[in-house]
Amino acid sequence: MEMGFDFQYSVMWESVPLLLSGAKLTIIITVFGLVIGFLLGAITGLMKISRNWFVRKLAGLYIECIRGTPIMVQVMFIYFGLPMALGMRIPPMAAGIVAIAVNSGAYIAEIVRGAFQSIEKGQTEAGRSIGLSHLQTMYYVIWPQALRRMIPPLGNQFIISLKDTSLLVVVGVGELTRTGQEIVASNFRAFEVWLTVALMYLVLTLSLSRLLHFLEKRMDINT
Amino acid sequence: MIRIENLHKNFGSLEVLKGIDLTISKGEVTVIMGPSGSGKSTLLRCINRLEGITSGKVFIDNQDVADKKTDINFIRSEAGMVFQQFNLFPHMTALANVTLGPRKVRKMPSDKAEKLGRELLGKVGLADKADSYPDHLSGGQKQRVAIARSLALQPKVMLFDEPTSALDPELVGEVLEVMKQLGREGMTMIVVTHEMGFAREVADRVIFMDGGYIIEENTPKEIFTNPQHQRTREFLRSIL
Ligand SMILES: Nc1ncnc2c1ncn2[C@@H]1O[C@H](COP(=O)(O)OP(=O)(O)OP(=O)(O)O)[C@@H](O)[C@H]1O
Ligand SMILES: [Mg+2]
Repeated sequence: MEMGFDFQYSVMWESVPLLLSGAKLTIIITVFGLVIGFLLGAITGLMKISRNWFVRKLAGLYIECIRGTPIMVQVMFIYFGLPMALGMRIPPMAAGIVAIAVNSGAYIAEIVRGAFQSIEKGQTEAGRSIGLSHLQTMYYVIWPQALRRMIPPLGNQFIISLKDTSLLVVVGVGELTRTGQEIVASNFRAFEVWLTVALMYLVLTLSLSRLLHFLEKRMDINT
Repeated sequence: MIRIENLHKNFGSLEVLKGIDLTISKGEVTVIMGPSGSGKSTLLRCINRLEGITSGKVFIDNQDVADKKTDINFIRSEAGMVFQQFNLFPHMTALANVTLGPRKVRKMPSDKAEKLGRELLGKVGLADKADSYPDHLSGGQKQRVAIARSLALQPKVMLFDEPTSALDPELVGEVLEVMKQLGREGMTMIVVTHEMGFAREVADRVIFMDGGYIIEENTPKEIFTNPQHQRTREFLRSIL
């Protein structure tokens, strides 16, 4: 009787088309979630360095709440909890995007704040002393320099958020992990299927970090 | 041109300027000297309101810089400031550094601003560095770009805060040369510096500050050869 494990390449190949459609959803959720998360993070990051005490505390509260709770709980709260309060269902995709946005936003806020505070005070003073307004100084002088310093830590956060989308399996969004789960449920070839899923995540994260690396290099040309 | 009346400046409980009175007329070159911590930088920074004023008045061209009705961005553009650490914008070329003010503050069209920028870079001897980024310039070159950047707003007065103290000795001359030329052209200048040669050659007046007060002011010749106060004498001896 054959007891050895027989590895079946064909299972990997056969699962690829379905997994690709799952990967597509993963990409969509990541992209939309991060675009919104970046806006959210940029705004709260700037609020965190505002001169207004209340604005600073408000941003701090959001950041602390998100960083102090597990993302799994945040996902559950948004998908299962909020609809009870709002009295309406939230489509799983939307819940997923909101969860990634709200979660990454808090971490991105800290990245934005750190980058802004790392720009020497002399830069603001030079901007102001040629007559630029506060907003003009931020926009023309500080922001471009801060943005470049943000890229490495942002890249890190983007990769984390991409991987975090796999948690959306609990709300039933048909992203990459969920698709893998469904395939395993029908063919019981866990080894081959999860290996393929892992490889797909790897391709996604590696592409993302290449892209950011490329962006960083391009911005460096201008120094 | 510039009138300062009984200016006081506190940082918390620390009183840094303790009643400064100073009038500077158009075209005058004033050098400020004094030991570290005497309030020289703070005085300059109160003039273009990089620091708020605790009490007293500062007027540029009869405009009260602390008045709520005064457009502070406009005032700042009328008082060019050159810093010890240059503070060039590192993400912009030399030319872009110089044209930013004219374009965004004076709303000058790009082609006119560029023409002005190249002219000013030429004036400070850096016509060939227009497209270089600050990281590729020497300290002396950076400071000359910074001077051109301030001049681009056609300010009424130029404030220099130890413009040559961060420079290697062999680069000091090229910056002083540009400043001397400005002085000869009739620019009103207030220069914090310990360069006696510069003071002798172009200053109309030297002010000696200590402990938040103006201790003594006179022509360079008088103050260097015949200082009236003990503190001035000690200080001059220490920098020689
Ligand atoms: N932003 C600030 N907050 C608190 N104290 C300050 C601040 N800026 C300056 N001071 C203090 O004010 C005093 C005067 O400083 P200032 O920079 O005007 O001196 P300075 O004459 O320019 O000295 P230096 O020759 O070292 O540049 C110093 O004791 C300094 O520590
Ligand atoms: Mg100083």
